Parts: sequence; C-alpha cells; structure tokens
Amino acid sequence: MNKTADISINGKRLISRIFLYLVVFIICMIILYPYFAMFCTALKNRSEIFSAEGTVFPIHALWSNFADIWKKAPMAKYMMNSLLIAGGSTVIALLCGIPAAYALSRMKFKGQTAFLGFVIVSQMFAPVVLLIGIYKVIMTLGLTDSILGLIFINAAFNQAFTIWLLRGTFIGISPEMEQAAKIDGCSRLQAMLRILLPVAAPGIVTTLIFVFINAWNEYTVALTLISTDTNKPLTVGINIFNGYNMIEWQYLFAASLFAIVPVVILFAIIEKNLVSGLASGGVKG
Amino acid sequence: MKKNMQKIEPYIWILPSIILMFVFILIPIVFVFRMALSKVTRAGLIKGYAGFENFTKVLSTPTFAMVLKNTLIWTVAVVGLSTLLGFILALLLNNEFKGRKIARAIVVFPWATTLVVQASIWKFIIDVDYGTLNTLLMKLGIIDHAVNWTASPGAWFAWEIACGIFVTIPFVTFTVLSGLQSIDGTYYEAATVDGANYWQKLFRITIPLVSSSLTVSTVLNIIYVFNSFPIIWNMTKGDPGNRTDTLVTYLYKLAFYNGKQGLAAAVSVIGFLILLACAMVYMVATLRKGDE
Repeated sequence: MNKTADISINGKRLISRIFLYLVVFIICMIILYPYFAMFCTALKNRSEIFSAEGTVFPIHALWSNFADIWKKAPMAKYMMNSLLIAGGSTVIALLCGIPAAYALSRMKFKGQTAFLGFVIVSQMFAPVVLLIGIYKVIMTLGLTDSILGLIFINAAFNQAFTIWLLRGTFIGISPEMEQAAKIDGCSRLQAMLRILLPVAAPGIVTTLIFVFINAWNEYTVALTLISTDTNKPLTVGINIFNGYNMIEWQYLFAASLFAIVPVVILFAIIEKNLVSGLASGGVKG
Repeated sequence: MKKNMQKIEPYIWILPSIILMFVFILIPIVFVFRMALSKVTRAGLIKGYAGFENFTKVLSTPTFAMVLKNTLIWTVAVVGLSTLLGFILALLLNNEFKGRKIARAIVVFPWATTLVVQASIWKFIIDVDYGTLNTLLMKLGIIDHAVNWTASPGAWFAWEIACGIFVTIPFVTFTVLSGLQSIDGTYYEAATVDGANYWQKLFRITIPLVSSSLTVSTVLNIIYVFNSFPIIWNMTKGDPGNRTDTLVTYLYKLAFYNGKQGLAAAVSVIGFLILLACAMVYMVATLRKGDE
C-alpha cells in the first residue's frame, strides 16, 4: 500500500517537474525571440528583409553587415562617446556618492533625514519631465551639445541609487575596525579609504556597474541635448539607420547589437548583488 | 574650535553630492515650476507672471484628457501586469532545477537592453508587411495570411504596453526572487507538517513575506513607467493625433516641437503632483521601515 502511495506522489512530482521545465522553457523562448529576430535580421540583405515571402533564418548569412556599419556611420565615435559618458558619469556619481553614503551610515547630523528624504524623492523626477529646466541649466553653463553636460546629468540622476546602494552596503559593515584605526591615529578619511572601502568593494563594484549601464543606456537626454552627429552616444547615433523614408533594418540591428551585448554581459554579472541591495540592503536602516 | 569642526564635518562629506543634485536636479525643478507659472515665448524666454493661465489652457483641451487617460492606462496596465507575471516567474525560478542559472541570465536580457533598441525590434517584429512575427506564425502554420497587428491606434498602444510589460518583468522578478530567497525554509516545513497545501503556503507564508519586496518594486515601477519615454517615442511618437501619447511624450512634443514651453512646464508640474502622492506613500513606508 505504501508503495502505491509513493508512486503516486512521485508521479505527481514528475508531472509538476515537467510542467516547470516546459513553462520556463517557453518563457525563455519568448524572451529570446526578439534577440533572435534581431540577430537574424542583422545578417540579411535588404531585399530579403522586404521580400513578400519572408524568411526566418537568413538565406546567406551576410556577416559583412557588421563591418559595413562602421563605414556607413561614425560607429567608432558613437561607441567612444558612449564609453566616455558612461565612464565619466560613473566616476562622478561615485566620487560624490561614496562620501555622502559614508556620512549617512557613520555620522549623525541635523538634516540627515531631510537629506535622505530628498534622495528618495529625487528618484521620482525623471530627466524627461525636467528636460526644459535641464536645457536651461546646460545652456547657462555653456554645456550645450557636449558630452560633459550629459556626464553631469547622468551622474546627478544616478545619485539616488548610488547613495541608496552604498549606504546599505556600509551599514552592513561593522564600524569597529574603523574605530580601532582611528584610535591608532588614522584620520576619518584614511579609515574610510583603507579599511571600509576594501571591505565594501563588492557593493561598490555592483553600484559602479549599475550606474555605468544606466548611463550607457540613457537615450532621452542625449536625444534632446546633442545635435552634432559625432557627439552622439550609441543609443541615439544608431538611429541614423532609422530614417524617415527608409529604415535600414539590417544595419540598425547590427549596430544595436554593439550597443546591447556588452551591457547584457555586465548586467548578468551583477544581477544577484544588485537585487539584494535594492530590495533589502538599502531599505534597512 | 575642534567641536565646531566636528559639527560641520558631516556636511563637508555630503557637499559634493548636494552640489551635483542641486545644480542638475533642483534648479531644473525650480525652472520648470517658474515656467509653468509664466508667459513663455516660443524661444523659451520668460515674459512675466501668468498665474495659472498655462494650467487652465492645458486642462481645457480635450487632448489633455485623452493623454491623461492614456497615461493612467499605460501605467496601471504595465505595472499591474508585469507585477503579476514577474511574481509568477519569480516563483518558478525559485525552484531548484537544472539550467536555473541559464534561465536567470536569460531573464536579465530585457532589463539590460536599452529601451530604444527594444522599441525598434518590437516595431519591426509586428510590422504588417515584413514583420517577423507574421513570417514565423505562417511558417508554423498558425496563420495563413499576414495579420495587420497594428490596424488601429488602440492596437499600437496595446503593443506599446506589451513592450513595456516585457521590459519591466525582470525587475519585478529579481526583486521578488531576492525576497523569496531570504525566507526561512522551516516555515514551509512546519506548514507541510500541519497539512497545508500549495495555495495555503503561497497565500499565508510566501506573499506576506515578500510583500515588502513587492512594495519596493511596485512603487519604483510606477515612477519609471509613468515617466517612460523611449518605447512610445520610437514606436509611434504618440501619434496618430495624440492617440498614443502619454504625459511625457505629450510634453516633449509641446516643448521641443511646438515651441510651447509654458504649457509643457504645466504638464510637467501636473505629472509631479500625480507622482508626488506615490512618492509620499513610498517615503513614509521606507522611513518607517528604517526606524524598526
């Protein structure tokens, strides 16, 4: 009797296992489908894309599309600009964010709650809603059409996350070691640089990559503030293939792949740390 | 002297961050509010106080009512459905199975991909003449002639919402997953001993324990989705006739295409006020949690 019960439980388990695999498999296929379509299209020639029959896989994989885009558009320049914008924003966001997160986690001061409150509320202002105001500030500073302007804006709008994630990381680390170092004659700055930051390195790397990705993927502000083609980042520049009269899908998608592949890899690396930081570490006081 | 130094020291530490946010967030906010209350020329110059004229002008147009309705549908549909689907996906991925790491990595894709590329690819996939969705479904024998997926503005808007859901699900999934993974397994063991079934465990243990993760993801998503610009901009530019506009695409057109910066600023302010309600709830919830 026990045996038949075992079998029915095992049978049930097996069915739910198969169901799980099936559902996860289908979901993964749906998620991957746009990337699959993008990749296949990037390898087709123009007439094949617009042909009446349509093909799923390219008839002849046209790898030259990936080379052509570098000749047809200043791709190298776009890529360099994206790197500069993302790298510059990350450096500034961290240079400003690390000391702020340190003060919020290690010191008590008047206005602390107000500052933290502003940091949280600032998340609700997306650049797109403030674009008119941002445009004025950028004009006043003489940073119109410049990469430097984009760097500052991206750094500012990523302050909230930077401070949020780093404060959570710092709070999770006991201050005892730093206190001991201070008794030994270290200044606060030395204690932070030599003791806290090395221990907090995983959290800092997560934050760093996250800000980098956000700035790399930014589109709206760059679209509005940059008019010179050679100052555009990838997200805006690739639309050179997306003209009003004629869309060169094969080039657009070949170029898009250059914009997304590096970031998807970076994201997959930090995903685990980032999420636990966002969901709990940052919120815990 | 030393005591004074100690008092001002924290402010020196937060100063760089404050300057950065002051110049590039706070001053633009002030500018936008000032313009909303001013007469503004086409070139964006302020020509005197206008009171609430910009607001009454915006609010009196029938377009605005439609845009506001679109914004609400867009936000509620995208956030609601992606929260539900993302939650279910998190429950699935929380099981131990072979290939889970690969599945998690795949789910990251839409989150990491820049929105402008997502919008282009979906626009291409659903195109009636050469879209790959029609090709694929015809090759699989599911349909026998090309379907016009975007026959009406409503259909376009529905596809934009679908694209929004697609890109928002991963954030919900990973936030909930981190909540799920912090649940102590002994709760489930005790519940099993007490004879609880799957659904009882789900509603009595899982959902209450991940509710804080769900709150964080929902509130942040409301803000992101409400302010989301690239998807709609790249698929339809809010057209035809503002039928697929949300507040952000509408104000963008007002400001940078029609030279009506005063009206655009008023739309911005209305947007803030709507979000402010959400932000208040969020802030009170997080600060209260911090005190615990």
